[in-house]
Amino acid sequence: MKKQQTWMLGLGVIVLLSLLFLQSCQVEEFDPALTKSFSLQSNTNGANYQIKVGLPEDYFSSSEKYATLYVLDGEENFEFVSNHSKEISTNNQTQNVVVVSIGYGQDRSMDYTPTKVSSMTGGGAEFLEFIKNQLIPTMERDFNVDTTRNGRIIMGHSYGGLFGACVLAVDNNLFGNYLLLSPSIWFDNEVVLQLEKLNRANNKDRSQLVFLGIGEMENLGRMQAPFEAFYLTLRNHYTNIKLSKNRERNLDHMGSRNPNIISALNYYFSNR
Amino acid sequence: MKTNNYLALLFILSISTIGYAQRDNATGAAQPNTFRQLTVEPGIGIHTNFGTDLLITNLVQWNSHKRWSFGAHSSYSINNIMLQDFNYVHTDYNYSLNQKFGAGMMFNRKKGSHTFMLMAGIKYTAYKETLNHPDLDKASISISAFSPDYGILYSAKRGWKKYFFTYRMYLPLYPWPIKGSNILYTEGNMNNLALEFGIGMKVK
Repeated sequence: MKKQQTWMLGLGVIVLLSLLFLQSCQVEEFDPALTKSFSLQSNTNGANYQIKVGLPEDYFSSSEKYATLYVLDGEENFEFVSNHSKEISTNNQTQNVVVVSIGYGQDRSMDYTPTKVSSMTGGGAEFLEFIKNQLIPTMERDFNVDTTRNGRIIMGHSYGGLFGACVLAVDNNLFGNYLLLSPSIWFDNEVVLQLEKLNRANNKDRSQLVFLGIGEMENLGRMQAPFEAFYLTLRNHYTNIKLSKNRERNLDHMGSRNPNIISALNYYFSNR
Repeated sequence: MKTNNYLALLFILSISTIGYAQRDNATGAAQPNTFRQLTVEPGIGIHTNFGTDLLITNLVQWNSHKRWSFGAHSSYSINNIMLQDFNYVHTDYNYSLNQKFGAGMMFNRKKGSHTFMLMAGIKYTAYKETLNHPDLDKASISISAFSPDYGILYSAKRGWKKYFFTYRMYLPLYPWPIKGSNILYTEGNMNNLALEFGIGMKVK
């Protein structure tokens, strides 16, 4: 009898853990009626990018122009960002955005990094050309969206955050809002900080909104100090900036991503 | 930093003291194969984040009954020990202290035993990084954080005499490791999965 009780207890623990696991794995789907998809082949690197567009609920009944949120690592983030944009904009009683998710055309480490330190990096400039000359014009031609710099937002995590930081530094005309989560500022001896310094005179007086997020437990000896250096640079040198920094408690690089997406969207919708 | 060093030293000494204190009470002869027993099991280990953390750990385990076990697990982790300088980022210090208590079940086998315990406790992590790039402004950040720590501890013992080999694996469940359907989301906690080896001693 005791043996049976032991096995039943063990089985109970396994079932409980399995239920928690399945609960965690649920994929939240964004309303298919508000989702548009198309693919675009880059003229610069030849890669084919799958683009998904998440529209606000009132998109078809309103004539207003919407801001566009360009999301890197789109295949992983589209549903989460679209659903939370809808929820947070509703809670803030403000207009939602059009979410534009950019899927992978080639390896992300190629597209999101500015310089070549291995055979798998350094395609950032070509990827930026694709966004600037193909994707944004397509979005602004085919959808009812705001065509000004202030109406464009870029969101990226890790190498995606690095790419966003590079765009801020080298092509500040393109986006007015930057949601940068755990950006890999350390890449290639902090090359993005050097690019920022090089272009600071042109950028420092422009209006911009920047959210910087990271996980408190990103303690692998490369993330925190460059992140802090980037934050201090923006705080100390940029005169017309709305800037926020967030460290997600007890979370590391991947674990902090979704909580920081929520914090970033909250900051954007409250401060744009 | 001095305070941190003293804290770490105190922690290691407390682990050692427990071990020696218990040893005084132990007899030199081999213990009979009874289920009621108290063991002290110091060990060393790594985390599964490419083996860059070094763990100094101890498990005190009390089997009160044929099946039931109670344990106290302590660990001091020197984090990221192999990479103190990277791309002009210097790690000044980086360590964690954990103390957990738990209960679970022990399964005896011919040449040893297997124990599964649910553990809960507290974790303290402190680290400091400095960016010292010749072309950039110097920037430094220090972080210290307490967090809950709970998870599942598996402990295997090999041998029934006074001294035995011990192997442990700790699967942390805080923060909950599965963030979504993408396997990459598990990275957060899988980094902290601990593998430990040591020599245990029966003290009662």
